[in-house]
Amino acid sequence: MVKISVLQHAPSTHLPARPGDPTPTHRNLDPLLHPFARARERTRALNAAKMERMFAKPFLASLEGHVDAVEVLARRPESVTDVASGSWDGEIIVHNLARRTHVAKIPGAHKGKLSGLCWADEERILSCGVDRNIKMWDVKPLAVFPGKFSFNSIDHHRTDPLFATASSIVQVWDETKSAPVLDITFSTAAETVTRIQFNPSESSVLASIGSDRTFTLYDVRTGKAERRIVMQMRSNDLSWSPTFPTTILLASEDHNLYTFDIRRLNNPTQIYKAHVAAVTTCDWSPTGTELVSGGWDRTVRIWKEGQGTHPEVYHTKRMQRVLSSAFTADARYVLSGSDDGNVRVWKANASEKLGIVTARERAAIEYRDTLKDKWQADREVGKVQRSRHIPKPVYKAGSLKRTMLEAQRVKEERRRKHTRAGESKPKAERKKVVIAEQT
Amino acid sequence: MDNLIAKAKTSLPKSLRAGGPPPADARSFGHIPNKKLRTHLTRHSAQAAHAKALVKDAELLLETDAGGMEVEGEMDRTWRITQDEIVKEVGLEAARGRKEMVLDGGPYRSRYTRNGRHMAIVGLKGHVATFDWQTGTMHSELQLKETCRDITFLQDHSHYAVAQSKYVFIYDRDGVELHRLKAHVEPTRLEFLPFHWLLATIGNTGHLKYQDTSTGQLVADHRTKLGACTTMAQNAHNAVIHLGHQNGTVTLWTPNLPHPAVKLLAHLGPVCSVSVDPSSGGRYMSTAGEDGSVKVWDCRNWKGAVRTWNPRGGSAEVQWSQRGYLAVASGGSVNVYSRRSIYQAFPGTPPPPLYLTHPIPHRPLQSVRFCPYQDILTIGHAHGLSSILVPGSGEPNFDSAEADPFENRKARREREVKSLLDKIQPDMITLDPEFVGSLAPESKLTTGDTDVPFARLPRLNRLKVSGKADETEEVSDAEDTGKTQDREEREKRKMRGKGKSLKRYLRKQRKNVIDPKAVAIRAKLEKDRNERKKAREAAKGIAADHKPSALDRFKRTL
Repeated sequence: MVKISVLQHAPSTHLPARPGDPTPTHRNLDPLLHPFARARERTRALNAAKMERMFAKPFLASLEGHVDAVEVLARRPESVTDVASGSWDGEIIVHNLARRTHVAKIPGAHKGKLSGLCWADEERILSCGVDRNIKMWDVKPLAVFPGKFSFNSIDHHRTDPLFATASSIVQVWDETKSAPVLDITFSTAAETVTRIQFNPSESSVLASIGSDRTFTLYDVRTGKAERRIVMQMRSNDLSWSPTFPTTILLASEDHNLYTFDIRRLNNPTQIYKAHVAAVTTCDWSPTGTELVSGGWDRTVRIWKEGQGTHPEVYHTKRMQRVLSSAFTADARYVLSGSDDGNVRVWKANASEKLGIVTARERAAIEYRDTLKDKWQADREVGKVQRSRHIPKPVYKAGSLKRTMLEAQRVKEERRRKHTRAGESKPKAERKKVVIAEQT
Repeated sequence: MDNLIAKAKTSLPKSLRAGGPPPADARSFGHIPNKKLRTHLTRHSAQAAHAKALVKDAELLLETDAGGMEVEGEMDRTWRITQDEIVKEVGLEAARGRKEMVLDGGPYRSRYTRNGRHMAIVGLKGHVATFDWQTGTMHSELQLKETCRDITFLQDHSHYAVAQSKYVFIYDRDGVELHRLKAHVEPTRLEFLPFHWLLATIGNTGHLKYQDTSTGQLVADHRTKLGACTTMAQNAHNAVIHLGHQNGTVTLWTPNLPHPAVKLLAHLGPVCSVSVDPSSGGRYMSTAGEDGSVKVWDCRNWKGAVRTWNPRGGSAEVQWSQRGYLAVASGGSVNVYSRRSIYQAFPGTPPPPLYLTHPIPHRPLQSVRFCPYQDILTIGHAHGLSSILVPGSGEPNFDSAEADPFENRKARREREVKSLLDKIQPDMITLDPEFVGSLAPESKLTTGDTDVPFARLPRLNRLKVSGKADETEEVSDAEDTGKTQDREEREKRKMRGKGKSLKRYLRKQRKNVIDPKAVAIRAKLEKDRNERKKAREAAKGIAADHKPSALDRFKRTL
């Protein structure tokens, strides 16, 4: 007796049962049936990285209307589309991003530069300017709060009818009263306070930065300035994290951004290094996972939270120095207002496909993202992912900066080598930022 | 919100996601100080281990079992079973694989597509045909009226290449001549590397040429310097081309090396056939020579053949099947040997136990091809082609993403585009295909202490590390006068042309510099020397701090 069996594939299991049905597919995960699996996956990863760069077209629109530099951008609470912008000629425009139209336009809202703008609630706008006035708007003026100094910044309390202004002093105002209710300047300060912001979750905490290289924390309930730090260089902008109430982001004049944990102000939790000139503006995404910053180097950069290098960099030929930036409420778009009077709309993820994405397409996108992540250590894939074309002046400034920093470092090292051993220790970058902490 | 919903739909089901404690075979990275990197690596290795376990589980889902022959009696042998008996036993559907094609026009060669659905045949006198052998649909039939030595399908049955008397020609499915590859002169054998889209040819001129069929570029042209060559095989797992030559050598080629990656004296006469085992991941190669022997080689260790035997009938034609059965066609019969027994090293030259044999009275038997995913072996001979059934030779479960015998037109087109996108660059062909994605070897330009990167070292140290520093006249502070004399002597004998200004400068730089590191090393060496001396003395039996005393004379010497 002999048992013989010969392989045969029954067509019924391999062909569609009825015309129009999908052809059945079969899987065999035996690695011998998948030769070159790794090499092919690498090719796929390389293609995915190249496709990402090919489809990276981040610029969406330029919202025109201002005739001077756009100093401040403020997104309307509870709205995805509406954003107010104020410019140096004292004009306020409320843009609708989806339709790219002006919802409201208030020319000559202030005499001279409009320096601060915020939403009091969903309808009313608060603005301040160098003409020493604070004005409340609902397209037409509702109230005027005359002040004694030219104002630099304004921010409204999250829930209460309070707002704070920054001038040479920090004042807290009640919407119903024409004079400030509180003056909470730090006792020994004699500086110009440039920016001010309420903490969105711990809403009576107020933070400010000043021209004296300071960062100060206030509490409206005690009516006092609580703590202050003096840093190496002055900050230009600040922004509270929307998800971590203790985290604040500072845009510094020394080309870096810093996040601080306000419980430990002696050193920053993270340094964000890539700008090649002073950083003038910064904002968190509403998810708290990304940051946007704009600088004197005419670029907008988008950072991952906690990753201090290799940000996404956006630039255009005609964009001048970036003075204001903001994320939209859905975290998908980024706005930048610049010296040339335009508000530009960018995608937060440069290669994201806009419009309807089918489930299959979504699966393909996710697979490509995983591949890029998995193969990022590969030399070619990583190179494609990392390299960016940036304007020549920015590139030159970057390389010059690198050379200078390297020279400084070498000099420091040599100096240390030729002093007595143990006399001077190298200081970590993070420890260098804060000079003094005052309470 | 829409994004989130779509994401939930496409993500892995929970049962397949890695969770719980990491599997036992996941690597640990406790030695890495960087916490972020450590977590990242641990997560990746846990995921990989998990995936591996899942792959093992997935074997349960395979539908079809492999074929086979089993005898019950102790004295029964599978090779005694004839094809007629097999055909009678297996039923009508499976028996369709047994065929005799009687054709004129000289010894025939055949080739299957990668999914085993289509077949191309070529007769020496110029008869070319391609067809779907399962449905019996003819795609094209040509009478080329010149010598045709080999045929191969390209990426699938839509194109094929024929080695004709002068050049290689490419035809499409309908037999329309698309290209004449003038660079490939007098070709004898063709191989197509499907994942690289390369057509490799060897000819009477002894040039191995690689043509990229997607771009049309001639990628590489290697002169073998070993004369006309009529034997070629590819290793499907690393895309290395194996050539057998007239002087008995077998050479392994990749497009990026101008010389063979391996050169091996396999036979004492011309090599007439080479084949690589796909079932072991390309680990074993078998060769047959005009000296009448068949050898099996281990491709990892070329020191001698694993097994050698001499089949009847002289020069043989060898071919491995997908599941590791070796067919040897020699003289007037085809012998099939089962796997395992072929790999076992054995002293002497007895043939391995036979699995199946089949006589074919039409010499010469020229080509032997197993059909992928089927238990079919096709032998080309002087009177056409014979297909016989070899139970158990074919892989039972195919993967539709790689090669599907039942794919429809749309799937074929889809796969063609996908495989073009996944095309691997020709310079990535190496003997070890696993080098992709493995860690790069450590740079040779590493400094002793890892804190200072190479670029930040002082120039002298950089030269030292890269081995370019002139260390012939190292000034040492510990040198005594005798050594100084030596140095003077050396300098006197120094060859001309060594007194470069740079070296003079470097020498000056080294003078009067007290390098704390050098001092420390010197101190350490001194200490080591003392310790060694002490140990030597201790071994001789002298106590470490022993002063000679008068009582030493009474000590017993061993």
